[in-house]
Amino acid sequence: MSELFNPILLYGGCALGALGLALALPRRGVSPQLVGALIAAIGLGGIFLALGVRAKAAELPNFLFYIFALIALGGALRVISHPRPVYAALYFILTILASSGMYLLLSAEFMAFALIIVYAGAILITYLFVIMLATEAPTAEEVHVLRDYDRYSREPIAATVVGFVLVALLATLLGRGAAALPAPERFGDAPLLAAVPGRVERALREAEAIAPGESIVVDEAGVARIDVEARTAVVTGGEGGETRVVELPADLALANTEGVAFELIAAHPGAIEIAGVILLMAMLGAVVLSRKRVELDEQARAAAPGAGAGARP
Amino acid sequence: MTELSMLAQADFPAVMPQVTLYHYLLVSAVMFVLGVVGFVTRRNLIIMFLCTELMFQAAGLALIGFSRFHLNYTGQAFVIFVLTIAAAEAAMALALVVLLFRRKETLDASTWSELKG
Repeated sequence: MSELFNPILLYGGCALGALGLALALPRRGVSPQLVGALIAAIGLGGIFLALGVRAKAAELPNFLFYIFALIALGGALRVISHPRPVYAALYFILTILASSGMYLLLSAEFMAFALIIVYAGAILITYLFVIMLATEAPTAEEVHVLRDYDRYSREPIAATVVGFVLVALLATLLGRGAAALPAPERFGDAPLLAAVPGRVERALREAEAIAPGESIVVDEAGVARIDVEARTAVVTGGEGGETRVVELPADLALANTEGVAFELIAAHPGAIEIAGVILLMAMLGAVVLSRKRVELDEQARAAAPGAGAGARP
Repeated sequence: MTELSMLAQADFPAVMPQVTLYHYLLVSAVMFVLGVVGFVTRRNLIIMFLCTELMFQAAGLALIGFSRFHLNYTGQAFVIFVLTIAAAEAAMALALVVLLFRRKETLDASTWSELKG
């Protein structure tokens, strides 16, 4: 068995979480949603306890992780258990915000903010618009009446059992796989520093390692002479005109956005084109799907320019 | 260990232990399963598509976790494509929902059960 987690606590936590989920899902008769959410939270605590008892204190994640995880999963639970679609979408925004907090803890700042802008700012607003578009206008006396299909869920017990089995299986396999992963030896993006001479030069100038007139030497092939292994650069253009070797500042590293940009543009240029085509196709598809056919009566059809051809029934 | 300065890049090039990665993977797994359970149990078409977004989100969290663990940017670049697909899927799915709503004036998925043939 894997040493990463205590199996009894982990599976017990999964089972408690499943029980809480089954109670929290909306159903016919009494549905104790609050009790269910509490039991699910205790189950989540059990899952993390199963990891905590085996790990060294220094290996546990930041305490902020536990807060973000609780908010994200609690929001996700409300997304699938809240009977009103608008509230479900708003809880999904909460999940997004907590996930972007976890992205920050994983030092992926660019993706954290892209997530907030794209997901919470664009996609979820589209969802809210459609929820408000595609809802029957309630009559005055039934403003607070929920639709039948929002009030009851379909087969909550069977779905929860399947979910429990799936999460226990995933936890076991991920635990074994993660325990077997070899730790990376060194940070792999140092060679990329040679590709950003302007930035290296600016860092050198800010550290006052080079004079204002000096700049990094570029050879005939257009490659800047920066040695990332020895962390040195060759500069020239000083007062004497001589060429000398300076050391790079110790804290000079690529920022997260620069690293993602290199990965995106240098390593996957074709994928970006394909993503653009997919977005264009989605836009065309949405336009074609959601256009409204206008039915013209005889008079209007006669008056319309290009009568007959333009107005298909 | 628990100062706020640990947020973001302060400890970035340091190696992340497997246990820490496993924490994030577990959150991702639980979120994914919540999405699956929601997709199966809810009957409102819009909520069902919201649950697929939840599953995308779980996949993104796992990708970012692995990206941090392996100390490279591939996972983060991949999340951009996940976002792209999620946006395309939302546009198509919501157009479809509006179309279906115009036909039957309801969002109940079981009114379309004749589609299962």
